[in-house]
Amino acid sequence: MKSNANTGSASKTLAEPQSADRAKRFRIPLIARLLGAKETGIFLALIIMGLFLAVSTENFLSSTNLLNVGRQISLLGIMAIGMAFVMISGEIDLSVGSTYALGGLGTGMLILMGWWLVPALLMGLVFGAVIGLINGVLSTYGRVPSLIATLGTLSVIRGTALIMTGGQPVTINARNGADPNLLAAFEYLGQGYLFGVIPMQLVFFVAVAALGWLLLSRTAFGFRVFAVGGSAKAARVSGIHVPTVKIWAFVIMGVLSSLAGILSLAFMPSGQAGRTGLGLELDVIAAVVVGGASLTGGVGTILGVVLGVLIIGVLRNGLVLLGISPFTQEVMVGLVIIVAVAIDKWSTKSRSA
Amino acid sequence: MKRLFFFTAIAVMLSSLTASGAPVNVSEFKLAPRIAARVASGEPLNIYVSYHDVSNEFSPFVRAGVERANKADGVNAHFIGPVGSNADAQISEIETLMGKMDGLAISSVSSDALAPLIDRVVAAGIPVITFNTDNPDSKRLVFAGQDLVQSGREAGELMAKVLDGKGRVIITTIDAAAQWSLDREKGAREALAKYPGIKVVRTLNTGSDPQEIYSAIENAMLADPNIDGILSMECCSTPAAGEWVERNGRTGKVKVVGFDLLDMTVELVSKGVIQATIDQAPERQGYEAVNLLVKFLNGETIDNVDTGVGVYTPENISEVIKK
Repeated sequence: MKSNANTGSASKTLAEPQSADRAKRFRIPLIARLLGAKETGIFLALIIMGLFLAVSTENFLSSTNLLNVGRQISLLGIMAIGMAFVMISGEIDLSVGSTYALGGLGTGMLILMGWWLVPALLMGLVFGAVIGLINGVLSTYGRVPSLIATLGTLSVIRGTALIMTGGQPVTINARNGADPNLLAAFEYLGQGYLFGVIPMQLVFFVAVAALGWLLLSRTAFGFRVFAVGGSAKAARVSGIHVPTVKIWAFVIMGVLSSLAGILSLAFMPSGQAGRTGLGLELDVIAAVVVGGASLTGGVGTILGVVLGVLIIGVLRNGLVLLGISPFTQEVMVGLVIIVAVAIDKWSTKSRSA
Repeated sequence: MKRLFFFTAIAVMLSSLTASGAPVNVSEFKLAPRIAARVASGEPLNIYVSYHDVSNEFSPFVRAGVERANKADGVNAHFIGPVGSNADAQISEIETLMGKMDGLAISSVSSDALAPLIDRVVAAGIPVITFNTDNPDSKRLVFAGQDLVQSGREAGELMAKVLDGKGRVIITTIDAAAQWSLDREKGAREALAKYPGIKVVRTLNTGSDPQEIYSAIENAMLADPNIDGILSMECCSTPAAGEWVERNGRTGKVKVVGFDLLDMTVELVSKGVIQATIDQAPERQGYEAVNLLVKFLNGETIDNVDTGVGVYTPENISEVIKK
């Protein structure tokens, strides 16, 4: 690969910015390119898990189960796409589980107060955007490290959701005052099927992943996200306004967390501020890290994140299909996260060495 | 058939409680002099009620019970406790407030972690009772609440009844490792074990987020398509199990028995998707927590109080809807 570095550098200025190493790989045969791709390790891990489950369980490969898995990973996936932006920009957001609760339950309360569906949904996303803005400003202009800033907002947001709801479950049904037509439309978002087959949540996930990929690898904004995460100093020198980029990453994260929360409420029309999305931030970060993103910023791809989400989802599904005891499942999930990241790091090291 | 008893249409109140304490009177208790002086002066007593998670869905009901007792007994009752089941936070809050307490009612996050603290509060001459979740190994005076093993047994019996004594059952819980869950599961398995036709296939630990709960049930039902009954151990996997059954057109084929009266649960019971649910009367638990302490400090002899269980089925669920 090294031999290509010189030829690659000539086209560097022409290719879109982030893809210095894509240009490098340009002349390498497809197979070698696939084997060398960052995501290959995770993809192989996923295939191995899938093969194992296909052999050892009756139902893993059934279309029902695969569509179930698709739906089960969707909300985690939507948030993981947002987390990819934040982590590639060199920050972290621990408040996403709380934002998920506040966005979903807040939207639900607006619906019960008689808001029309579209304004209520938009307002829910605005809640998420505002939270993202606050997280972003605190972590940049406020100079509070994002780990600490979002650890604080994690608690502030969940507390706000508890105050808003008085600790009572928010249940969206006709008896609580929701309009039946609006209710049907709202529930379609979470429970419906596109063409009668594909769960709507999965449709949202695919759309978010596609948009996320476009934004991250096909736009100047995406390039800047990598640049500020790779080296904030170098980015600043080259004229990128670092805080703006990071704040936008947090806003994307907030909006997507809120979207996931809204879809969750549309799926199970009852949520409680003390439980909804509790601890979800750890699953989201795990999925992104398994997908090859670095905690120190500058590294990560949307494809990798999608694969990371799939690994977590297939693992949870598989452990239940295999009938493994609940306590052993906890151990297995943790081990797989460690092993997946370790394999990724070792293979990256051997490739770059 | 002693089991016919469960089919009483109205809430069934039980009086059997496995008592680990005996009736107690303040004359047998080393009351702190400052509290004795306060009782004698007739000033309102400062009663603290520490609930193990003030952010869960029962907390508003427990608080309402505390407030009812506060008015009825003319005391200063304070509702306290950690957000999220956090034993350390519960301990440090009580340590901070100990000097002001004339009485403490506590529902422990963890029996083992809180027992030494309870003993310390008692040693300081402050009466302590437990409510909702007991702490039998501590020096607490009495307990007001539902016997968890017993309520698990009742749930198991109800499941056996709706299955006519035969079928394959999974048990669901949002926290398989929690003491309350282990107690209920123990009771449920005990009850189901009496029926040779019933097999408990597994315990499913669902996690506590609504999406997670539903997904876990969905996976488990696909893993074993011949499940006849889902027996939930708590509030939150009960409606999720009902939703799964309804959405997959298995109403009546897969029976659901669970706990509590969340809105969704009530709706699913009235539709006949959930065959039975057990209520734990959290408001009454909050009320008794304060009331027992006030009685005790005023010289009455107090004993354990079983706040009972209510069994709701499609036949009597309308009572809840009317409220």
